[in-house]
Amino acid sequence: MATPGQLMFARRLGPTARLLIWLLIGVSCVVVDVRYHALDGLRSGFSLLLQPVREVLRAPSDVAAELGGFFARHRLLQKERDALLAERARLLVNVNVAKELLRENAELRTLLQLQSRPGQQMVHAAQLYQGHDWFAQRITLDQGGRAGLRSGLPVVDAVGLVGQVTQVYPGSSEVTLVSSRQQLTPVFVERTGQRGLAAGSGQNQLELRYMPAQTDIRPGDRLLTSGIDRVYPAGIPVARVSRVSRSQSSPYLRVECLPLAGLDRSRAVLVLIAEPQVTTR
Amino acid sequence: MNVATRTAGSWHRILGSLALAVLLEQLPWAGWALALRPDFVLVGVLFWTLHQPARIGFATAFFFGLLADFQDGAVFGQHAIAYVIGVYLVLFLRLRLLQFDPFRQAVQLFPILLTVQLAVLLVGWLAVNPPASLSILLPVMSSAVLWYLVALFVRLWHGKSLLDQA
Repeated sequence: MATPGQLMFARRLGPTARLLIWLLIGVSCVVVDVRYHALDGLRSGFSLLLQPVREVLRAPSDVAAELGGFFARHRLLQKERDALLAERARLLVNVNVAKELLRENAELRTLLQLQSRPGQQMVHAAQLYQGHDWFAQRITLDQGGRAGLRSGLPVVDAVGLVGQVTQVYPGSSEVTLVSSRQQLTPVFVERTGQRGLAAGSGQNQLELRYMPAQTDIRPGDRLLTSGIDRVYPAGIPVARVSRVSRSQSSPYLRVECLPLAGLDRSRAVLVLIAEPQVTTR
Repeated sequence: MNVATRTAGSWHRILGSLALAVLLEQLPWAGWALALRPDFVLVGVLFWTLHQPARIGFATAFFFGLLADFQDGAVFGQHAIAYVIGVYLVLFLRLRLLQFDPFRQAVQLFPILLTVQLAVLLVGWLAVNPPASLSILLPVMSSAVLWYLVALFVRLWHGKSLLDQA
């Protein structure tokens, strides 16, 4: 049991005492972080340390995806091209209509002397890392403060709202997904215009809170951001209602929704930056 | 006396293996692979605590715990507390654990890893909010399997047959 060089009598603290000391330090860490948010510097340090590593380690899967893409079937590509061309034609028509509406809207706004809506700048970002989603669902993007990101900006993919930037480092940033617990998104029902509050419930789902029992809402309804929080621009698709149920005990409906954006799939996302802040930079 | 204690304890190996564990966790894991990903760093720290308790212990565990907290975007201290508890349990059961072959060691490690994960769960529950699901317990399995593979590898590396009990 006693190895050479080992003291026969302990001169240092026993394991139990050391455990208690470290537990104390750990608990104070939790308190300092939760209550006072005083450990952001440590977070930035870790992010600076790990970001290059993550970027390098992302390469193998990128190469694999490239190789997979290289061997894609010719027929498949042709089919995809045809579909894209058709969609492009459809979108071009929409763009013309939108331009016309934009001009008209600007004129009407000047007539009514309303403030013009803020323009938007977009930053392309790719998912760099994803941690465990036990308590909060977060992803790390490969763009950060250097690209003009700030805490609170909305993040979207091609289909809908992905989440909100919650932590910004110089070269990367953390995004809390809409499906994350405690993450609230003000929305309205596209079909009826009824406003509400969508809250993440974890496990890649959302629920629409505080909907009175007589509300007209049914499975299949789309929820869009309402824009009244001045965080998200209005009209970004968020989720689709999947189940509506009534409970005896609560005066509210239980409305479950599935997020539209590919929260666990999409690797490329856009961060929307409202223009005014950008011009003042 | 265990083979690993005599030969495999240089700082190069310790730091190299822990760095490798950190690198493995930085891979872009997603979906099921992420849910089942063993906690490489925890296994590494506990392994070296078992074999080199003079070099790797509470402080190292606490540091790597903070790193794990950063990775998951969790509260600082959540994994740190849990890892420290894990180190304590390994130190407590050290002489017993050293007598077992890799498979039995892994079986004995299972409750320790479970305790660590339950500590993560508990601290997160108290500090942030209830967890989304119990998938937090999945890595316990895979970590125990990883421990078996690592212990087996080390034993074979040092030229001991499986049947030869220490």
